Amino acid sequence: MRTILAAAAAAALALGFAAAAEPGGYKAPRTPDGNPDLNGIWQALGSAHWNIEGHSAEAGPIVELGALGAIPGGLGVVEGGAIPYKPEALKIRNENRKHWLKRDPAVKCYMPGVPRATYMPFPFQIVQTPEHVLIAYEFAGAARVIYMNRPDFEAPVDSWMGHSRGKWQDDTLVVDVTALIDRTWFDSAGNFHSDKLRVVERYTPAGPNLLQYEAVIEDPQIFTRPWKISMPLYRRVEKNAQLLEFKCVEFAEELMYGHLRKKTEE
Amino acid sequence: MRFLLPIVPVIVAALPVAAAPNPADETAPAEWRMPRTAWGDPDLRGVWDYRTITPLERPRELAGKAVLSDDEAAEFEARLVSTKNKDRRQADGLSAQADVANAYNEFWWDYGKKLTEDNRTSLIVDPPDGRIPALTPPARERYKAMRAARARPPHGPEDRGPAERCILGFNAGPPYNPSAYNNNVHVFQTPGFVVLLVEMVHDARIVPMDGRPRLPEHVRQWRGDARGRWEGDTLVVESRNFTDKTSFRGSGENMRLTERFTRVADDKLVYRYTIDDPESFEKPWTAVIPMARNDQPMFEYACHEGNESMVTMLAGARAQEKAQQKAAPQDKQAKNE
Repeated sequence: MRTILAAAAAAALALGFAAAAEPGGYKAPRTPDGNPDLNGIWQALGSAHWNIEGHSAEAGPIVELGALGAIPGGLGVVEGGAIPYKPEALKIRNENRKHWLKRDPAVKCYMPGVPRATYMPFPFQIVQTPEHVLIAYEFAGAARVIYMNRPDFEAPVDSWMGHSRGKWQDDTLVVDVTALIDRTWFDSAGNFHSDKLRVVERYTPAGPNLLQYEAVIEDPQIFTRPWKISMPLYRRVEKNAQLLEFKCVEFAEELMYGHLRKKTEE
Repeated sequence: MRFLLPIVPVIVAALPVAAAPNPADETAPAEWRMPRTAWGDPDLRGVWDYRTITPLERPRELAGKAVLSDDEAAEFEARLVSTKNKDRRQADGLSAQADVANAYNEFWWDYGKKLTEDNRTSLIVDPPDGRIPALTPPARERYKAMRAARARPPHGPEDRGPAERCILGFNAGPPYNPSAYNNNVHVFQTPGFVVLLVEMVHDARIVPMDGRPRLPEHVRQWRGDARGRWEGDTLVVESRNFTDKTSFRGSGENMRLTERFTRVADDKLVYRYTIDDPESFEKPWTAVIPMARNDQPMFEYACHEGNESMVTMLAGARAQEKAQQKAAPQDKQAKNE
């Protein structure tokens, strides 16, 4: 574990992610407890949830949806453009892509994991207390608790949303996410990881309604080196914005169990 | 089943009547000071454990007896624990197969072993008989249809309840009611919001506290739409806009649920809910459940992600039908003609 930590720190430095400067020198308001105030409903824009790498627009797999089901192009959110897969892992990624609907765990309404939950096309809400930061996601009703200032609190078991330990670094919420199981993806383009995944996230206030999000991704089983994604997160500023229920299990039941339904007698 | 609890007058007489606890007391001791958030609200934050083996409804044989003496309570607890005990197959001569069919055993169960501190015989405090009021005729029809669907080999996932479909936890309502395991809720507070994160099933219920308007009436949610406020030091959460797929003990989509959370000690919170649903129940009813501070963190309960049972239940039902058709092909023939 210690060596992994050291490696992550070295990687972080190499990626220049320890840079202290906040974008635009913005200083966030404080919570009543005195921490930077990140409370609120946030959402990513763009097409990272389709594919975190840059990609052209293309037709979607559901013919009936036509233009509405097509996949918009995207500039990509991976620093340097391409994910540094090991050759054998890249083959799996490409196979995943070919069998997208069959293999993408989010199609079945499984919890999307970290970092994918952040940039699903759904809002999420940050709820801060001095000891915990809760992130509640609209998609699949996924949620995770970030344990603040408890670096020694090891995960008892792997989970879909992982084990999150956080701290404040100036105005930035830094979250070390470990114990992620190997069944989640990064997007709908087959990008995947193993259970050796570790994600170090940084949420930096960049304006009253803007967070800069970065995640350094490390998985020595799948990637040749740590790599980084970054994107802005926007506050949902509309009056009375609230997370609505998206209990998608019932929307995936026909897909998952439809073939086992009792045939209605004609 | 034999009723083990001897309600012997002499025991009751031995009880100092004046000390009989007021069921579901929500008054904090005078010397205790409510912890407060940095912005002055009562501080309810942390994980709260609402397990108790006091049943929601008072057992018929305890009619008229809202509260037990300590001796009676000990016997009642022993009886309840023994009734729920799935590891008693040897003593009772249950077969190993029956045990396996139960799927869960004492290692898994976490009902708790104690009644509420005040030795109540039901979580329901109103009506005074401790029972859910009668269902209205349409609610009774609905309930019967639901029971029938649950009783048959499932035609589809909808025949099973939302808990088995991993849509809602079996103990996490709303309202919250203690059951087999994971009876935990983690309360978060931030200016403007209270969030109730239940272990079952990783569900964060976000309660706006800023007096904003409710969702439009036609926007419906499994857990309803919650709005909160403080009444003195009590958190009051009112929920409406439930779906017609949500049913708690026969409730319907127009249920109005009022939940009240009152912290009465460092390690104790009193949870009181009232169900007001004249379309479904002949009168409103109220339950009171104690919650105890839990210093342990909650873990992710990934239910749907591991729900192999739904596939096996449905596949089993289809296999059963196939076997029946094979056994009686002439019936099918006759039906088709």
